[in-house]
Amino acid sequence: MAAMTKENMARVIEFLQENKSRGGDVSLNDVMHLAEVMSGSMHEFLTVVQPAVTEELQLIAREITRMKTEISALRANDMKTSRIPDAGRELDAIVEATESATHSIMEAAEEIMSADPSDIDAYQELVSNKMIEIFEACTFQDITGQRISKVVSTLNYIDERVTTFVEKLRIPAGMELEAEESEEERRKRELILHGPQHKGEGVSQNDIDALLNSGSQDDIDKLFD
Amino acid sequence: MALDLQMPVLVVDDYKTMIRIIRNLLKQLGFEDIDDAADGTEALEKMKQRRYGLVISDWNMEPMTGYELLKQVRADSGLSKTPFIMVTAESKTENVIAAKKAGVNNYIVKPFNAQTLKGKIEAVFAD
Repeated sequence: MAAMTKENMARVIEFLQENKSRGGDVSLNDVMHLAEVMSGSMHEFLTVVQPAVTEELQLIAREITRMKTEISALRANDMKTSRIPDAGRELDAIVEATESATHSIMEAAEEIMSADPSDIDAYQELVSNKMIEIFEACTFQDITGQRISKVVSTLNYIDERVTTFVEKLRIPAGMELEAEESEEERRKRELILHGPQHKGEGVSQNDIDALLNSGSQDDIDKLFD
Repeated sequence: MALDLQMPVLVVDDYKTMIRIIRNLLKQLGFEDIDDAADGTEALEKMKQRRYGLVISDWNMEPMTGYELLKQVRADSGLSKTPFIMVTAESKTENVIAAKKAGVNNYIVKPFNAQTLKGKIEAVFAD
């Protein structure tokens, strides 16, 4: 690779020596002159490296364009402003519907429990009416099922987009930054809040009973093996 | 300690429906004096004002969880002997161990049935 010639180097040294005793008294013309001497001295070097630099810059520009295309394909704004809020609304509606249905069912059951059975005909009629109310309330399951399908569809959409994005950007699995623990995560860890487990994942009531009745450290340790 | 159906029972859960379910089951079992609280803080305040014969508490509540409530109850000399049953969806082994170490009298995992609740209450008072 070409480097600064002895002649050019000497010109820069000469310039600096001539001006070293001037302290802070430097004008714009002096700066321009130094720049001129420096650029003249680097001319040969830049002539050699320029094609390689240009090629690198073109590669970087192409990569930035490709990333912009992939970010557009992610449709992040669509997710943020439409799909995720829609899924949130569906989940809110599910909570509301299940709560309302549970309330109706419990109301009917409580009325049956507190009814006077001494008048058999009246009691039978009340039970029959309340049973119909319970069946009606159970229709929530069909609607919530459809709502849950919409939420699952949104999750699949997001999963598909993010997976494609990660693949296109060729982000290796080990490259992810260590996530900082949030306040909510810290609370969950310290207060041992795992939430409900899936079938077969948590301990059963029988295991719990055995554990509480055993009292020995050995039995407790066995559960961690 | 004998099981007394007249004793006041405190049900602690942040989910109103669950309080209602446990309240109805307790009524079916013959309990008449049932009080409730929406989290550990409210429960602790009520326990300092009234002597309860049994506490049935959920684990996952805000701001004070059932686990924190249990530890505070056991650390308070005036409340430490109160029978305490945890009724929770937290079914990891470490939860059960932590509750046991904190002094829980029994542990019921949700969903549960009336028979389980009855059996655990009887077991607590049979000890």
